[in-house]
Amino acid sequence: MLRNMLLKELWDQRKPFLWWCLGFLVLIPVIISMYPSVRDMTEINIMMDNDLIRAFSGGVTDITSPVGYLNSQLYFLMVPLLFLIFGITQGSGAIAGEEESGTLDLLLSNPVSRSRVVLQKFSAIIVNMLVFACIVWLISITSVIAINMEISLIRIGEITFSVALLGILFASLAFLVGCVIGKRGMSVGITSAIGVLTYILYSLGPIVDRLEPLEVLSPFYYYFEADPLTNGLYLPHVLVLIIVILVLVVIAYAMFKHRDLGV
Amino acid sequence: MGTENVICLKSLTKYYRDVRAINGLDLEIHEGEIFGFLGPNGAGKTTTIRLLLGFIKPTLGSASIFDFDTFQDGVQVRKLVGYLPADIKLYGKMTGNQLLQYLSNLREGTDWDLVEELRERLETNLTQPIRSLSRGNKQKIGLIQAFMNRPELIIMDEPTSGLDPLIQQEFYKMLDDVKADGRTVFISSHNMQEVERVCDRVGIIRLGEIVAVDEIHDLKERSIHKFEIHFSGAVSTDTFRTVDGIQDIVVEDNIVLCTVLGKPDAFIKTASSFEILRLISHEPSLEDVFLSYYGGN
Repeated sequence: MLRNMLLKELWDQRKPFLWWCLGFLVLIPVIISMYPSVRDMTEINIMMDNDLIRAFSGGVTDITSPVGYLNSQLYFLMVPLLFLIFGITQGSGAIAGEEESGTLDLLLSNPVSRSRVVLQKFSAIIVNMLVFACIVWLISITSVIAINMEISLIRIGEITFSVALLGILFASLAFLVGCVIGKRGMSVGITSAIGVLTYILYSLGPIVDRLEPLEVLSPFYYYFEADPLTNGLYLPHVLVLIIVILVLVVIAYAMFKHRDLGV
Repeated sequence: MGTENVICLKSLTKYYRDVRAINGLDLEIHEGEIFGFLGPNGAGKTTTIRLLLGFIKPTLGSASIFDFDTFQDGVQVRKLVGYLPADIKLYGKMTGNQLLQYLSNLREGTDWDLVEELRERLETNLTQPIRSLSRGNKQKIGLIQAFMNRPELIIMDEPTSGLDPLIQQEFYKMLDDVKADGRTVFISSHNMQEVERVCDRVGIIRLGEIVAVDEIHDLKERSIHKFEIHFSGAVSTDTFRTVDGIQDIVVEDNIVLCTVLGKPDAFIKTASSFEILRLISHEPSLEDVFLSYYGGN
């Protein structure tokens, strides 16, 4: 497992990774298993008929439908939030974490270029996130099958892939901030703040007229707006997420390449 | 000793924002020599070494190793260099064996027989997680990784800090082996005795500037001692004024305070013609040597 920097990153992450999986193994089955009781409460939709509530539950109109339930209870807030935390933790740790703990000097005293360090460490983030998404998908479809929920397992896979891209995007942002300033705490703080602001921007967009045109600036828009759980992935939005990720990583590399390493 | 330059610094200057860390260093290190880079803390030793490894970029001037620019061609440089940072930080979750395995995968040419030999010689624990080891034991792992690829140049920042005296002796022998192979070593230190013991040549850095580069035996001849002697009766300044090597003599009744350059033999013989109650000799601090020889420059 220590053949290169990519595998070493995965090796380092194995324990936290396992804890994250265990967390989802509890969270998702518990939420999905409550669906049968919600399904029979049609009056709940009347309670939900409120702009503000709807703003924070993904604009869902029928919470008693399988798609409405999963979108409002899992995919609008809970799952993206956790993927964001997962991504930001990894993105900030990759360069800035190692720089702050002092081991980056040891690593870069070997004949490895900074581009190789950036590439392998970022690849590790992508691998981690995609494997994690697969596990989350498996947990989700198993829970859905267990209660005979009528929903496409493929569509669940598609929205899970979409949320993984969102997680990778915020990981790239944290990675970039870490590459520029080399401070893990700053990287976590700045990226989390951007995460919260862009989330609010997207969720309040439909009810605050002035914010609506700005919605497209929020990564959450490209993750959720096309409703992947109902319609499947919307290619233009997927491409926007991928392009932003690539741009962030290229900037991260350009900034890191010429920077003085911190002591 | 070869004449080819292994390290070549030309007007090397580094500013951190507006603070000048090192200023206009010119230095050539020859193949096969053990060079000591001596200076008090904060003089710029570590900054110089970080420039050599390509961790930071020169503000002005250049540094090259085997004719490769240390920042532009860092990968080429680091293929040929083994490095021990000051106060080394290692991956705490790994064991020493795992760490060495990982580092050896990042470069070619690890000599595992040498690793085993060094492990025994330095009495190193490579099986426990590194975070549970003492500072000295971490330092030993740092030394092994710096030597294990038999690099052409080994750069070490304060290599013996944290090592107990027996292990220090073993380290000095490791340096002898490297020297016997004709390889080159660059060591920073603030310990004059250590530099005297292991180095062929020494450069002294102070406030970011190199104030002297000397062969070690020249430096030894220029060593200084401070004496304070209490005599049983009053002595006169004139008695000592003409003695070889005497500097800054102060006589207060029966107490003589003075600085002696080079061998203190003549001074001791002169003093011994009087009854001595008490003799105090101070090993010169680096600062004293600087002030005594280079203070005027």
